[in-house]
Amino acid sequence: MTEQGHEHKRRSPADWWLFVVGLVLFSAIGWVVTPAIIYAEKPQPLNFNHKLHGPDGDAGKSCEDCHSFRDDGSFAGIPRVESCLECHEEVMGETPDEKKLVEVYIKGKKPIPWRVYAKQPPCVYFSHAAHVKNAGMECTECHGDHGTTEKLRPYQENRLTGYSRDIWGWAIHGWADPPERMKMDDCADCHRENGVREACFVCHK
Amino acid sequence: MDWDRRAFVKFAVGGVTGLHLSPLVWKLMDDVSIWTQNWSWVPNPADGALAKANSFNPATGTAVKVRLINSRIIPKDAYNPDGKAPRTRAIRVEGNPEYPLGLGIGGVVPQDASALQNAYLGDVRVKAPMVLDKTTGVYKEISWGAAIDMVAGKLAQLKKADQAQRVVAFGDNPDNTTGQILKAFMAAYGSPNLAFAPRAEDTLALAAGLMLSQPEIGFDLLGAKYILSLGTPLLEGFGAPVAVRAAFTKWRQGGAKLVQVEDRASVTASQAAKWVACAPGSQGVLALAMCQVLLAKGLAAEGSLNGLDDFKALVDSKFTPKAAAHATGLKPVAIEALAVEFGQAKQAVAVCGPGPGNEPGRLGDFMAVLALNALKGNLGKPGGVVVRGALPLKPLAAPAGASAAGLKGAARYAGHSNPLTMAAAALAGDPYKPKMAIIAGANPAYRGPQAGTFAKMLRQVPFVVAISSYLDESATLADLLLPAGTFLESWGDAVTPYGQAQASYGLHKPLLKIQPKSKAVGDALLMLAAKLGGEVAAALPYKSMAEALKARLGDGFKKVAEKGWWVQEKVSYGFNGSVDLQAATIAKSLGHQAASHGHSLTLAAVPSLRTCNNSEPITPHMIKILTDDTLRFKDQTVVEINPETAKHLHLHDGDLVTVDSTEGGFQARVKFFAGARPGMLYMPVGLGHTAFGFYRRGRGGNYNAVAKAEADAVTGLPVWGLTPVHVRKV
Repeated sequence: MTEQGHEHKRRSPADWWLFVVGLVLFSAIGWVVTPAIIYAEKPQPLNFNHKLHGPDGDAGKSCEDCHSFRDDGSFAGIPRVESCLECHEEVMGETPDEKKLVEVYIKGKKPIPWRVYAKQPPCVYFSHAAHVKNAGMECTECHGDHGTTEKLRPYQENRLTGYSRDIWGWAIHGWADPPERMKMDDCADCHRENGVREACFVCHK
Repeated sequence: MDWDRRAFVKFAVGGVTGLHLSPLVWKLMDDVSIWTQNWSWVPNPADGALAKANSFNPATGTAVKVRLINSRIIPKDAYNPDGKAPRTRAIRVEGNPEYPLGLGIGGVVPQDASALQNAYLGDVRVKAPMVLDKTTGVYKEISWGAAIDMVAGKLAQLKKADQAQRVVAFGDNPDNTTGQILKAFMAAYGSPNLAFAPRAEDTLALAAGLMLSQPEIGFDLLGAKYILSLGTPLLEGFGAPVAVRAAFTKWRQGGAKLVQVEDRASVTASQAAKWVACAPGSQGVLALAMCQVLLAKGLAAEGSLNGLDDFKALVDSKFTPKAAAHATGLKPVAIEALAVEFGQAKQAVAVCGPGPGNEPGRLGDFMAVLALNALKGNLGKPGGVVVRGALPLKPLAAPAGASAAGLKGAARYAGHSNPLTMAAAALAGDPYKPKMAIIAGANPAYRGPQAGTFAKMLRQVPFVVAISSYLDESATLADLLLPAGTFLESWGDAVTPYGQAQASYGLHKPLLKIQPKSKAVGDALLMLAAKLGGEVAAALPYKSMAEALKARLGDGFKKVAEKGWWVQEKVSYGFNGSVDLQAATIAKSLGHQAASHGHSLTLAAVPSLRTCNNSEPITPHMIKILTDDTLRFKDQTVVEINPETAKHLHLHDGDLVTVDSTEGGFQARVKFFAGARPGMLYMPVGLGHTAFGFYRRGRGGNYNAVAKAEADAVTGLPVWGLTPVHVRKV
């Protein structure tokens, strides 16, 4: 039997730096790349200036004027193009978005294919009437300052689930509270804090 | 530093650890789990214009509005950009606030609120006509034409062989148009063997017919200031529950007094001003003892009552408070005090029946309560017993004269007024075995009475046709299945609910086609009649159920179809008929007491709006709202027992027991309940399906399968409110 003749080489500390480099590099890649891999940015059909339409703007409307409740108490959501028609029968301003609204959607009698930031999965039953009318919550508690923005922010769609990024929240680590996030845990937390029943079937019918 | 294998591994491990410190993996895991949630079908109704259509739920007697989206009843000028035919979908059933008997509240019961689930749960719906291949046990889809040909062929063959009477039929309700069509069909075909689900309406109509010569009577609950409920589950499904709840609200607001006489501390008892805990099944005896007090103390109303002397003799001899004390378990002074309070109260009414599950009840009990009302002098008065107006309906075209000849010589099964004795006779082949059974929109193999007897009979009949919306307990025993529409999908009607003071009528129309091949039960019978030709076709000259309803309602059809209901404008006060107290009949009916056969306990059912027990099954949503006090561990029936009784039987709270009667048994959890009468056992009614898929099958026991029915001594109708049982700890 001959000796192997191998002497254990002394490893330099640089080897362990490689571990640290890998850790930092891939962690950074993960943080940066995750949103790009998971979410696809999709354009809104046209820009909408909430500030201009809102109470302090030219139109001087309140949230409820356009995002109204129907006579039966159900929430109408995003206004239909007929609501826009009340004022925008003809182009009033100079923005290309308004021009598009009037020419393409109002005159073309087409509904505007808005992408809804706060749209919950179909298995969730959410009643605006119960929260706004009965519980007296403000729109901003869930929707933040959306009603005072001048430009619609980008809409990001989850490539896997098809849901809006607003549900998980814009903080990619997911540690946030409404209005930055609209996950089931947020609903449950608020129900628990306010002594409202949080059984599954309250929301999942 | 060398870039060797070890260095690479260090770098890679660092990289993987680094990735795990980023949100990538965790976020992806969350997304993948959400993504997989969408693999199975998730109801995702498209948002769209909303419309409401009026309808009527015949099972609950509730006038409803059905919310439809993408509706075909959108106004024509509505915004409809793509011009595609809108797809209608119902998203909610809500109460109709315009319904006058709901007093503008527009409420619903859980069965209405979750009715869409029954309609949309596709795995338990009969989707197409299907015939059973007896060699493989598999159903094969066939066309409607082929199915009707098959049934008509068999019917014609039996008729030709002079065996028409060997066709037996079971229907749900004899008074609605479907029931009338079935009656006309069987009469013209020539078989007398037709039975409907036994109901308290029949007993009340018989009692009122005998005593007041007016079968159509009701209790003026809205006008009453003092309500004595003799075992009536007023708040647990009596009559049309929404209308009764509205009356209850009015009592509360107007200071009316409700006294509940019942063996168990029920929901109604808990809401009443006073609960009188009498022995089970002794309400009739109590009513007679109260009559005795009214007569003895001169509190009875003056007026001519036929047979008063006989009645007096009967109550004085057998039903004095002292004599009734044993049967009712009440002290004579308590009976006297109750009678005096009732006698002196203004606008007071005594209400009777129905038992849980709309059990017909004993004729004597109903007659005793009517006698109490007659002695109180409230007949035809506000807050009393009133005669209902007529419905705005014409009868169906009279069966052709030849049909009587068809029935000649066709022997009925014994006790034909009782579907149970009919089924038992058919089972025994006395005097013959049936060759064919038609189940038209009913489920006797679940609802019974003695559901097991029906199931056994259906298994023995060579050819069973079931016209059913669901693959229910009866349909799963059928050789040929015909898909029936639910009330949302088909034409149909409902007549005045039990005991209601004003006559009312409900009409439902097809709002959507959830199962495109389904037809109304009446439509299937009319198709069959047309195919058979001859007398049967002549007796039923309607092309469709809609046409039959149009013919019955005449000019009023359009208006009723739009609104979904018709209600008699006002309660018709005034009673000018004669009253016959019929003491002998009362004594005969009450004289018969069921023997307990040495069983240790008596089982009774507890009705509830949460579990329901009518022509429609409980929905999965309703099972979800049941607490552990009704259904434990998702599938075990809870039986209530008085702690004292349990002590004698060495039972503890939460024990698992088997409950056995002569008809069947089930396992249950014991729950101590001080409101349960000693010696009694109470179970919920409306559970324990053996069909209806994953969410409903095997959830608890079925009272109707365990109950032992006895025939009423006078009417012959089955009575199954109290069943002797043995309880054994597992």
